[in-house]
Amino acid sequence: MSRAIQPATDATRARLKALADKPLPLEEWRRRAAIPLTDDERERTLELVRWFRRRYPTAAERLAYARRAYKRWARPAA
Amino acid sequence: MEGYDFDEIDFFRRVALSGARALLIGRRALVLLGLPLLTADYDFWVHIDDAAVFNAALYPMGFVATRTPEEARTKGRYALENDEHVDVLVARGVPTVDGVRVAFDDLWARRRTLAVTPGVEVSIPCISDLIATKRFAARPKDLEDIRLLETLKSEDEAS
Repeated sequence: MSRAIQPATDATRARLKALADKPLPLEEWRRRAAIPLTDDERERTLELVRWFRRRYPTAAERLAYARRAYKRWARPAA
Repeated sequence: MEGYDFDEIDFFRRVALSGARALLIGRRALVLLGLPLLTADYDFWVHIDDAAVFNAALYPMGFVATRTPEEARTKGRYALENDEHVDVLVARGVPTVDGVRVAFDDLWARRRTLAVTPGVEVSIPCISDLIATKRFAARPKDLEDIRLLETLKSEDEAS
């Protein structure tokens, strides 16, 4: 039986935020920052940008999308 | 809890009309450029002399500053809060993790403006300067954002 994916709980979101905000040791940060972009990565990013700009051509629409997306992500788990 | 409707256009209109030298930085600026990213709050870098004007513009929307402008000048940052959260940087300059000083005045001189809606413009740093602001802290998520911005920059340069 498949199990539906549930929205993240507040605790999970807090843990994810703490992980994303925790600074890396400087050497590790420099090592990662020095990794060059690949053509594939660049193309995937540009594809996403093209879709987003096409779907939401104005700044107001992009901002509204970001608010909706965050609300969806932050919706309390059932 | 929903409980309240935040008028984002009014928010940016008030910032624009205030005359405060305010740059939208952080992920919300990347969203404006066309990157669909998840973000919870607003990040502004405001000229050190304009914090009081910036605060006053948003006070009618219920935003309350966590520090007085005088305290903020000392600490270099504060927040404006209602149900929304606005992080405000008020330093004249901030060093990157590599020790390069990034000055507000330089970013302001090179800023880009985007129309949120007709008559309402928001100022953001140019892409190279946005990348510099992403080097203020050695966070993994900033590294991801730098890679996205580098891609946009290369596209801009190619066109």
